Amino acid sequence: MSQSASHETVMDVGAEQLGKTYARALLGACQSDGSVEPVMEQLQQVCDDYLAQSSPLAAAFESPRVSVSEKSRVIDRVFGDWGHPNLIRFMKVMASRERLGYLRSVRRAAEALHDDAMGRVVAEVQTAVPMDDSLRNDVVSQLSGRLGKSVRLRESVDPDIIGGMIIRVGDTVFDSSVSGRIAKIGRAASAGFATQLVQQASRFGSDE
Amino acid sequence: MKFNSDEIASVLQQEIEQFETKIDVREVGTVLEVGDGIARVYGLSGVMAGEMVEFPSGAIGLAFNLEENSVGVIILGDYLSIEEGDEVKALGTLLSVPAGDAVVGRVLDPLGNPLDGKGPVQTDVTRPVEIIATGVAERQPVKQPLQTGIKAIDAMTPIGRGQRELVIGDRKTGKTAIAIDAILNQKGQDVKCFYIAIGQKDSAVAGVVDVLERYGAMEYTTVISAGASAPAPLQYVAPYAGTAMAEHFMFNGGHALVVYDDLSKQATAYRQMSLLMRRPPGREAYPGDVFYCHSRLLERSSKLSDALGGGSITSLPIIETLEGEVSAYIPTNVISITDGQIYVQPDLFFSGVRPAMNPGISVSRVGGDAQTKAMKKVAGGLRLQLAAFRALEAFAQLGTDLDPATQAELDRGYRMVELLKQPQYQPMSVAQQVISIYAGTNGYFDDVDVKEVQRCETEMLQYIKDTHGGLIDALTEKPELSDEIVEQMKAAIEDFKKIFK
Repeated sequence: MSQSASHETVMDVGAEQLGKTYARALLGACQSDGSVEPVMEQLQQVCDDYLAQSSPLAAAFESPRVSVSEKSRVIDRVFGDWGHPNLIRFMKVMASRERLGYLRSVRRAAEALHDDAMGRVVAEVQTAVPMDDSLRNDVVSQLSGRLGKSVRLRESVDPDIIGGMIIRVGDTVFDSSVSGRIAKIGRAASAGFATQLVQQASRFGSDE
Repeated sequence: MKFNSDEIASVLQQEIEQFETKIDVREVGTVLEVGDGIARVYGLSGVMAGEMVEFPSGAIGLAFNLEENSVGVIILGDYLSIEEGDEVKALGTLLSVPAGDAVVGRVLDPLGNPLDGKGPVQTDVTRPVEIIATGVAERQPVKQPLQTGIKAIDAMTPIGRGQRELVIGDRKTGKTAIAIDAILNQKGQDVKCFYIAIGQKDSAVAGVVDVLERYGAMEYTTVISAGASAPAPLQYVAPYAGTAMAEHFMFNGGHALVVYDDLSKQATAYRQMSLLMRRPPGREAYPGDVFYCHSRLLERSSKLSDALGGGSITSLPIIETLEGEVSAYIPTNVISITDGQIYVQPDLFFSGVRPAMNPGISVSRVGGDAQTKAMKKVAGGLRLQLAAFRALEAFAQLGTDLDPATQAELDRGYRMVELLKQPQYQPMSVAQQVISIYAGTNGYFDDVDVKEVQRCETEMLQYIKDTHGGLIDALTEKPELSDEIVEQMKAAIEDFKKIFK
């Protein structure tokens, strides 16, 4: 169980489990005083704007050689003037338990738990060209109607899919991309051709 | 040959016109790690145990372990082309293989892909690889014989249609030879044969296919091969796939004979997969459900009730022992599952007794029900007689003087052992077996030199075939020993003895 995964697909089961436990505690603590939304927002900010941008900070958070009191001082100095007290306290608790390096796992788990509680789902949408607002609204309203939940889009652009879009909600993929359809036609045609060839090989050639 | 591009284009056009544009909805996961024939997949949250999944390379996998955060997938095919981060698609179906007449005469891998270079299997009949065996109400007792064509087996450990008879013994003792002879003897018997090679050298499988082809047995035989170089998951599913193909015939009222060569290697493959999947090891490091792995396979061999057509699957599982150790884990398991075992021993094999079956500890728990009446009558006490002879032989080696009665018993025993020897690839018909054993047990070979017994037997059978053809026909038609037949048999053998020298 390492504190950071080097690759997105490398799953650390232990970190995942730990993140879930801490996330549940964080959300529970924030729910009592109604500060879930601001804390979630700030947690995202901490991960995206600070930990992702500054590797020394991330390294300091992970390193067991940096003492707990030093970590607390860093937290106060960097986040003290704008951080929500709940978040600051939470980070200090994590630091005192030598778990501060798992902040990103906590963030992932907290987002998932929070979305689940709010009846929200994240849809990853892949398109060949960037989407405009009308299309975006269309996709959101269609998906919300279909899934019965409010939908948050996470967009990405991949010219390789040629056209159409690929939408992924949870583990389900809706693929209406042109590249996917071309691949499917290719498979169907080669299978159909193979069948015809075996049934009637003479049709396709002549001995000359 | 010149290709006709217009025809090719027209076929392609037709395919494109028929293509339906539907949104492709699929359940997916991501490969976290892959290696040694297994993959760990994140996602696939709705996948069910045993469900098929597909990798981008086209390789098929089976959901084997459902864990809290990931799914363990066994890969049935090339796992070297799969990479971390690949998207895995759940197919929503169970693994199935092609079945029906199209698989007969073919050499296939466990997924039904051809290995014989004769093109894809053209059939729309498929059967699921894993099914639950038929229950009590759908079966009937085993009572119809399945002739192996081997005197020693048909006389002493008869096999019935629907029976599971284990062939067990050390390496190089003729286990496969027994099974191959049994397949060769099914010619013209309307029994479809399946030879399932698990973890065998590909050269050995090629040898078997060659023999089957040479003796015309490939016309009714399918060979399913997951060789030693095939990944463990393929070796693991091979017996289930072969049984699924055989079941097609059974459920359509036909008969099938399935040879699993051998189940020890399948257990080893299953152990490898289980350990890689981090299932807890048990005795000899096999997983806890290795018994179920074999019992659910062999339970699928059955004799169906008449209401279901009366079809059957007879199976001959093979187990290789180490140094004759039958009390190891896998041998005891399979012995307890099957309806009897044929135990082959190296010392018998090397002393020239081939097939090297030890009649003392070989049994068939179905017994006489699976024998023709004639065979039952002539071979009734043969097994016990031979076992007694072995005991007596050991005693006689002490060099004590023997009374004439004991000496006579010993002499008879030597000749019976000689009589039960049989060359490879020469299965015998029921009629021939009955005549041979009748002659042996009634002392017609007692005055023949031990070394001459085999020659005498062959010549006798040839003589009877040439001069008393009616006797063979009568026995083949109605294998019962009426007084009339016995008289004819006696007369024929005595006639032959007059001219034999």
